[in-house]
Amino acid sequence: MKRTLLLLLGAWVLIGSAQQVKVTSSTPLLRGVEAAFYPTLNASGDRLLYSDVDAHGLKMLDLNTQAVTIISDQNGAGFDAKWSNDGQVYYITSKVDEQSRLVFRTGMRYDMTRQTNDVVLEAQHGAVHLETGTKGVAMNGEKHTFATASNRGVSVYTTGSQLVVNINGKENRYTPVESYAGYLWSSVSPKGDKIAFFAAGKGIIVTNLQGKVLSELGNYEMPCWYNNDYLVAQNASDDGYQFTSSQILLLKADGTFRHELTPKTSMTMQPTSGGGKIAYTTIDGNITMITIDINE
Amino acid sequence: MKKSFLTFALIMAVAVTVTAITGVGGNYMPHVYINPGHGGHESDDRNVVIYPFAAGDTSGYWESNSNLKKGFALNNCLRAKGYTTSMSRVTNDENSDLPLSTIVRLCNESGADIFYAIHSNATGVAARRNHILALYRGYTGSPVVANSDVLSQTLMERLQVNAAAVWTSNYQIAGDFTFYPDWHNAGLGVLRGNNAVSMLSEGSFHDYIPETYRLMNDNYCWMEGWNFSLGADDYFGYSFFGKGCVAGNIRDNRMPRVLNDFIMFGDDNREPVCNATVILLDMNDNPLDTCYTDDLYNGIYAFKMLDPGNYKIRVEQEHYFSQTKQVTIQANHSSYCNFDLARVRETPPEVLNYSPVWNEGDAPLKANTPVIFEFNWDMNTEVTENAFHIEPAVEGHFRWEDSNYRMVFEPNDAYDINTLYTVTLDTTAEHGGGMRLQEPFSLQFKTTYRKHLEVIDIFPHEGDPVHYKAATIELRTDSMLNNSYYYDKILLTDKDGNLLTYNRRSTKTGKNTDPFGFIRIPVASTMVPGEEYTLTILNEMCDTAGIHLPETIVHKFTAVDAGEEKPDATLIEGFEDASTFLMVTATSNGAENTQLSNSTDKLFGSKSLQIKYPCSPQGGQYEFTSTAISEATIAGDEELSLHIFGDMSNVDINIQLSSTDNSDHQIIDFGKIDFHGWRYITGRGNLKRDKTYKIESIFIGNNPEAPIKISSATIKLDNLLKSQKSVAVYGDVNGDGEVTASDITELYNFLLNGDDSNIVNGDLNGDGEITAADITAVYDVLLGVTNAAPAIKPAPESAPNANVKVGPVPSSDYIMASAAGYIQGVELYDLNGNLVARNGGNYMNVESINDGHYILKVYCGDQVSSHHVAVKH
Repeated sequence: MKRTLLLLLGAWVLIGSAQQVKVTSSTPLLRGVEAAFYPTLNASGDRLLYSDVDAHGLKMLDLNTQAVTIISDQNGAGFDAKWSNDGQVYYITSKVDEQSRLVFRTGMRYDMTRQTNDVVLEAQHGAVHLETGTKGVAMNGEKHTFATASNRGVSVYTTGSQLVVNINGKENRYTPVESYAGYLWSSVSPKGDKIAFFAAGKGIIVTNLQGKVLSELGNYEMPCWYNNDYLVAQNASDDGYQFTSSQILLLKADGTFRHELTPKTSMTMQPTSGGGKIAYTTIDGNITMITIDINE
Repeated sequence: MKKSFLTFALIMAVAVTVTAITGVGGNYMPHVYINPGHGGHESDDRNVVIYPFAAGDTSGYWESNSNLKKGFALNNCLRAKGYTTSMSRVTNDENSDLPLSTIVRLCNESGADIFYAIHSNATGVAARRNHILALYRGYTGSPVVANSDVLSQTLMERLQVNAAAVWTSNYQIAGDFTFYPDWHNAGLGVLRGNNAVSMLSEGSFHDYIPETYRLMNDNYCWMEGWNFSLGADDYFGYSFFGKGCVAGNIRDNRMPRVLNDFIMFGDDNREPVCNATVILLDMNDNPLDTCYTDDLYNGIYAFKMLDPGNYKIRVEQEHYFSQTKQVTIQANHSSYCNFDLARVRETPPEVLNYSPVWNEGDAPLKANTPVIFEFNWDMNTEVTENAFHIEPAVEGHFRWEDSNYRMVFEPNDAYDINTLYTVTLDTTAEHGGGMRLQEPFSLQFKTTYRKHLEVIDIFPHEGDPVHYKAATIELRTDSMLNNSYYYDKILLTDKDGNLLTYNRRSTKTGKNTDPFGFIRIPVASTMVPGEEYTLTILNEMCDTAGIHLPETIVHKFTAVDAGEEKPDATLIEGFEDASTFLMVTATSNGAENTQLSNSTDKLFGSKSLQIKYPCSPQGGQYEFTSTAISEATIAGDEELSLHIFGDMSNVDINIQLSSTDNSDHQIIDFGKIDFHGWRYITGRGNLKRDKTYKIESIFIGNNPEAPIKISSATIKLDNLLKSQKSVAVYGDVNGDGEVTASDITELYNFLLNGDDSNIVNGDLNGDGEITAADITAVYDVLLGVTNAAPAIKPAPESAPNANVKVGPVPSSDYIMASAAGYIQGVELYDLNGNLVARNGGNYMNVESINDGHYILKVYCGDQVSSHHVAVKH
């Protein structure tokens, strides 16, 4: 992909800025234990969800005790697991029906207190979108839905080229930018005043809660809020068959600053953030957690 | 001309009765995620340059283009069947080239049941092939997502039926971990984390150029998309759609492809028919639909979404006879109906041009001149070759060019020399339409005296010892060599058949002013002393006129270390200081401009002596000495050895000696410099045992009568040694360690032919010369008169010409000689050198010859060899 213009813009932004970013700590996780992918930190940054390379199964690492809990051994469980506002884990499993050969997806909840899994959305055909808000969680399937509360505070999910924003129980759908292939990786900023998402072919977009575009951060993937002003994201390239480079970027939400947290050759990917920490994995599943200091 | 895709609206207009699948909790139609691979026109979007498009022209072939065409077709077909779909891109620009992680996420969030990544393949190397490949995530047989292997299988079976393509092998299905073992299970990016039943298809090889042209055709890509949809149907067990399609390839029925500078297989060798009108008819010949082949050299047509039943297809093109075929359309199937059209050729064939054009009195032609006919039509090759006659008869082969408009006849070897040939093309010659030549066509030409490229010399010779470092090989011929492509005709291999490499940049070749043709190639590889190597010069090696060698030449030789230490020898001269050498003016003649200098190319010490000797056309000699040389004394039972770096100049080198009492003068001969590189040579000579000698000079000279003329020689000398003569067995003339009949043969070779090349010690009685008395001395050993004699052994068959074999030994009726070449005659001599019998064939009748030992001289080509034989009745 060509990103010349954006990179030039990015370079200008970097030069024109006085910010400095320093990595203050770097901690390898699960080294020698297993290859880990799809890391997801909770809000306080002391628990990490992860899966295998194919998102098969879901595990949790307690960063304080280094204890690993197996949450699920189901297909797809690790692909889009999320923490809820009350500290539970929600995830979606997928299974190919032997008779029809269709794929059915099931909504699951892992109760951290009881350490049990519950089916919260029965198996159904088609897409299921997981939506986590400041006050609750919802799973939106084509046939059935599940919600912990009708008022989930501020939450967002994407379907096709629509940004579905739910504010205190009222849903609005927006299409801030054109994207034939669709939107992905939407999330609300910690203070609940901004939304970041990825538009295929466009890159990372930041809007307000009414879908107004505030900034376009460049053609990067997997945006994840670091704090209310900064995001981390993946910048990968490929040859159409396999990855040729991948790195983790720190991006200012207003589009004025970009910093390379890892070099392009590091093959680092799938960033997550929580509790002031950033974690990411590599193409072969080596998770690292870092802390940074941003000098503005 | 190009025809656009069926529009989505048209497809959706097709009445479809969809029976949905009953799944867990409801009736659903599958959702298919379609990923047309790549996107845009960048370096990773696979541009293959084909005529008439320039490199980088987005109108030309790009995999990103054809993948998208297939994706559109698949999307439309699936929706027509009631599937729901998503596509990762619908444009072909840089923004549509989505990252792999994004494609996977889009697929998963779409709720897809299956995922198709649509690609085509390339070898990435000069080799060409065309087949289909399916890859799914995991190891072969163990997909990460269940049923991905089944999905691959159903698709491959549908793609393989494409008979408009030419496949070089059947389809292949593999897990990506297995297929890409070097990727350490990273696998294909679009399958990594993909929750759908997923696979990536490489539908054909887009760098197989006939396929590249096909992939430029919209209908061809549409058919692949349609076949994908059938694969999805098969996977889900659907058969409700009720429509079928037919496609095919339209080619000339015999004419080779005009654009042909690429690898082709099977029917792709024939010319595709462009701009043909293809009409779909009902069985009553009512036209139902029309399509056209495009002008991009693929001949592809297709009719889509047809009701099952019987149809006719008629193909029309202004330069071809129309052709109609019946085809049966089946629901949910692809039918293929190819056409081989016959060209309209309305006039009889004529010879428009021919070669050679030769008239009586013209200069004769070289003996490999091809005969060429150019016709007004493409010809029936088999019939026209049968109509070709040449007198006198010559074995040859035909080559057809310019899509069979040009016929070329070439002799397999060469025509006879000084011969008038008549070539006739009789009236059975016909063009592709079956019309015959109206009148026979004849031409004549006469050949020159020369038939083959003649070899003057080759180094290494058969059996030569060759210094293992910095070796050089050389071929000398009677005319200037064709300087193109000789490296694949001169092959140097080790004992295991591995090719040694050449220093190509330092290769020397002959010029027009040189007295002979030559190529001199330094060998880059270092050889292993003691091991055998083979020099092969293929008979395709030819001169600038295309005259080639009569046969392939194979020389085996052995690598040696010419600088091996000789602990039993005494150093006489190390040649370290050129300034210590002086020309012996009294005996030097005609080569006073010889230059002596030191060279760092040496075997011992720090330098060698380089001698640059100008070879006078009148002949000449240069003699020089040094204090160390002149003060050395050589006993009569000692021998001299010299390290010589040769340049194949064929100059003579020897050492002149006089006995200390000045009563005897001898020459120790080191032979002609007919080799390249360093060689350790023990001189041949016959010092008298009761004398002591001093060296007069080292002699270099050239003979004006020598067949090989050369302007100058540059040779080098290193360590001159003396040592005790190494004759272990008295009577062992050739130095092979034992006394046999072959020692007598060597002496006779010298006495009859002057050939002393295999004599190490011929002067057995020490009288300073080789005479019949020395033969008697060997016989005395063999017959037991002299002690320490081994038993008589049969004469070796290889001496001195390994190619000539003689037997049986002894013989009572006939002695036969055999060789690879023609044997003109044999002569039998007694041991006194008297001719006993002569015969003009390869045998000698000895029924009336007395018992005894004889020498048989065999005349083979321009070589004469002598062989020891025995007659016993």
